Amino acid sequence: MTTVPQVEPALPAAAAPRRPRIRWGQVAAAVALPLALVLVWQISAWIMQPREWILPSPATIARTGWDVRERLWHHAQWTMLITVVGFALATVVGCLLAALIARSRVAGLMLYPWIIVSQTIPLVALAPLLVLWMPEFGAMVTLAALISIFPVIVAGVDGLRSTDPELIRAVRTLGASPGWTWWHVRVPAALPRLFTGLRLAAVFAVTGAVVGELVASDRGLGALTRLSAGQFETPVTFAAVVILALIGIAMFLIVAVAEWAALPYLRRGTRPGSR
Amino acid sequence: MPHGYDTEIAIRVDDVHLALGDDPPLAVLAGVDLEACAGEVTAIIGPSGCGKSTLLDVIAGLVVPDSGSVVTASSGRPVLMPQRDALMPWRTLRDNVAAAAELRGTPRGDAQALADREVARVGLAGFGDHYPHALSGGMRQRGALARTLLAESDIWLLDEPFGALDALTRSEMHRVLMAVREQVAPTIVLVTHEIAEAVAIADSVLVASPGPMRIVSRMRVADAGPDAAHEVLASLRAAGVAA
Repeated sequence: MTTVPQVEPALPAAAAPRRPRIRWGQVAAAVALPLALVLVWQISAWIMQPREWILPSPATIARTGWDVRERLWHHAQWTMLITVVGFALATVVGCLLAALIARSRVAGLMLYPWIIVSQTIPLVALAPLLVLWMPEFGAMVTLAALISIFPVIVAGVDGLRSTDPELIRAVRTLGASPGWTWWHVRVPAALPRLFTGLRLAAVFAVTGAVVGELVASDRGLGALTRLSAGQFETPVTFAAVVILALIGIAMFLIVAVAEWAALPYLRRGTRPGSR
Repeated sequence: MPHGYDTEIAIRVDDVHLALGDDPPLAVLAGVDLEACAGEVTAIIGPSGCGKSTLLDVIAGLVVPDSGSVVTASSGRPVLMPQRDALMPWRTLRDNVAAAAELRGTPRGDAQALADREVARVGLAGFGDHYPHALSGGMRQRGALARTLLAESDIWLLDEPFGALDALTRSEMHRVLMAVREQVAPTIVLVTHEIAEAVAIADSVLVASPGPMRIVSRMRVADAGPDAAHEVLASLRAAGVAA
């Protein structure tokens, strides 16, 4: 490499970014509330002894959940499959629609208002129709995707429309083609907002899957809550709900990890003044 | 209009008219004439919103004027440095600077090496791996300057490049810009609304009217001597700008 006369003495080098470390105090603060609630619940159950089929204690739920683990796992697999496939479908189709709406004025006018209007339909009401029209798996996936696609589209369109015009102006004078500008400026600029939408969509997908199963299926944790509550197996219902919550949390975390990996520049350790 | 100085003309803008928007169109440029001498700094000073940035877009070829002509004696395209640094937040400083070379078709590895060279030239050696938001405003503008350097254009269009910086950092950036200019001697058109900045950096100062924009007076800083700032101020007042 040729040496170039430096016009400027180098500024003092920056300190190496500090490694993030786990702050146990913060972890404790985060789990304190649910732990306290479970504790209060358990103690109240000991004192008041409610009938098990009305309100089982956390200990009973845990014991029953363990006893019927194979049944729970059988239904959980189905729900997870529907959630993941529905979410993936919503992500792919949602991103394509967002790109189309952001790129084309006509597509924006034709599609966007109707996508928003479609959200006023209680999608739950569609579940029996969807089951009528397609196989059960397809109907459940479609419902999960329909419920979770909305935040993907809205966040994607917002993100793609929010590009800093100065940035576009600068890269255009550097010779950037519209294609380069799209892939290297507009799409990366949209990603932080898109991920916000994806985090919502990940949780909505679980809701969509459960609602579908609840209304129109005999498989999955949603169906299990309906069937077990109908037979007064209340601890099983609670166990199913807990597992649904865990699936929702897992979906949220998977997207958060993907976001962390895809957007290194937004990590806290790379920000000035972050600790 | 003959400028009367024995220097080559690098940019000639002749009677450029431009209206933007429709219903009704708003006249932004109303017969702008401008000449910039090769290797010199030509400052355009005028009130905010008078159309200076639009004029730079026209010179850069981003916007086609309704009438009039723009001729640049540059081998490549003019490169624009906007007010905000306009670095891509998702690219490291090195990758941001390297974009200028990538867009000229340089392979990525070579572009990175070239970027490191320019980053060091503006005093940011060792900061190549930092993301823009981890750098100060002045450092980001140095980065934008490094990217401008790597674009290897003869013509630099600076759109209030230091407007967002504090006074100390701004004067430091003036020094950096002047030092860089000693090495590569580009033709610079500097848009500003700071009289002190125009007089400190420029060889010529053009005063723009409030929009729709015309050039209402021009002045060689060297000819005006120590009174340059006062002359610019007088021209601005005559143009109806409450300066």
